[in-house]
Amino acid sequence: MDDPEKAVFDAIRALLDDSAQAVDAHTPLIGDGRVLDSMKLVELCLALEDIATALGFEFDWTSESAMSRSRSMFRTAGALAKAFRGQQAVTP
Amino acid sequence: MIVVTGASRGLGRALCERLMGQGSAVFGIARQVDGLPFPALGCDVADYDAVRVVAQALRRQAQPVTALVNAAGIASMNLALTTPAAVTRRLIEVNLLGTIHCCQLFGPLLVRQRRGAIINFSTIAVALGLKGESVYAASKAGVEGFSRAFAREVSDFGVTVNCIAPGPIATDLLKGVSPAQIDAIVARQVLPRQFGADAVCDLVELLLDPRSHSLSGQVLHVGGV
Repeated sequence: MDDPEKAVFDAIRALLDDSAQAVDAHTPLIGDGRVLDSMKLVELCLALEDIATALGFEFDWTSESAMSRSRSMFRTAGALAKAFRGQQAVTP
Repeated sequence: MIVVTGASRGLGRALCERLMGQGSAVFGIARQVDGLPFPALGCDVADYDAVRVVAQALRRQAQPVTALVNAAGIASMNLALTTPAAVTRRLIEVNLLGTIHCCQLFGPLLVRQRRGAIINFSTIAVALGLKGESVYAASKAGVEGFSRAFAREVSDFGVTVNCIAPGPIATDLLKGVSPAQIDAIVARQVLPRQFGADAVCDLVELLLDPRSHSLSGQVLHVGGV
């Protein structure tokens, strides 16, 4: 679990109905073309919470920008991975 | 484990005693938790970050959370025209935002279990539009609206969300309400008698029973309205 980006992408992939579907930095998680419904998005948050705990930090998916279309950490898999990595980095 | 807010006194404390008496593990949340006879953490539910700290602590515990009872609440019986802004704000912060915060932050603990029950508290003042309780009723009407919508949001995870709306129950919240006013409210109930904390505890037990799994998004009125 040394690579946070891979951990996020793997967590997304594990929730896809089609496990063969590719997940990359541009894969949308909300809005048009999203690959997860709202229920799966919650499951993803819980999975990332567990991964963060294993990595020694608390993952907060309720930040002010979480639901903004333009700034949301959920807009793409890459944005989520960046936010995840960013929260890990600021953990004392 | 059942998480109960407002656990130090009033209905919350009575609920904790009842649930423990039935053999349930209870975890209390209150602003003052010194001397409580069950595990508890101090927290003001109006403070989102403080609630989040408690939720994180509970998640680290091995014991799964199966229910959340949001009993924390305050009351202030005043005409809206004479209610200070600070009192209005505090009523909304504790009763409405506090309930929302706890559902947002403790809800995932139940979602993880793919089962569970959330019980929020409203009041007869919402259904009856009681004079002198407009701000209090507004805060609790918000709780009802939130609960109905939130029930749909977590239904896929096997979590139910319901409200209990008591009439005048003898707790500290009734301070400032005269016996004549209480009689007048009770007279408007379908069952025109004053019920006690036991009746509320009975309904909580009913909603926590797995046989209530078909009930969600409902408001149960103690005494009927």
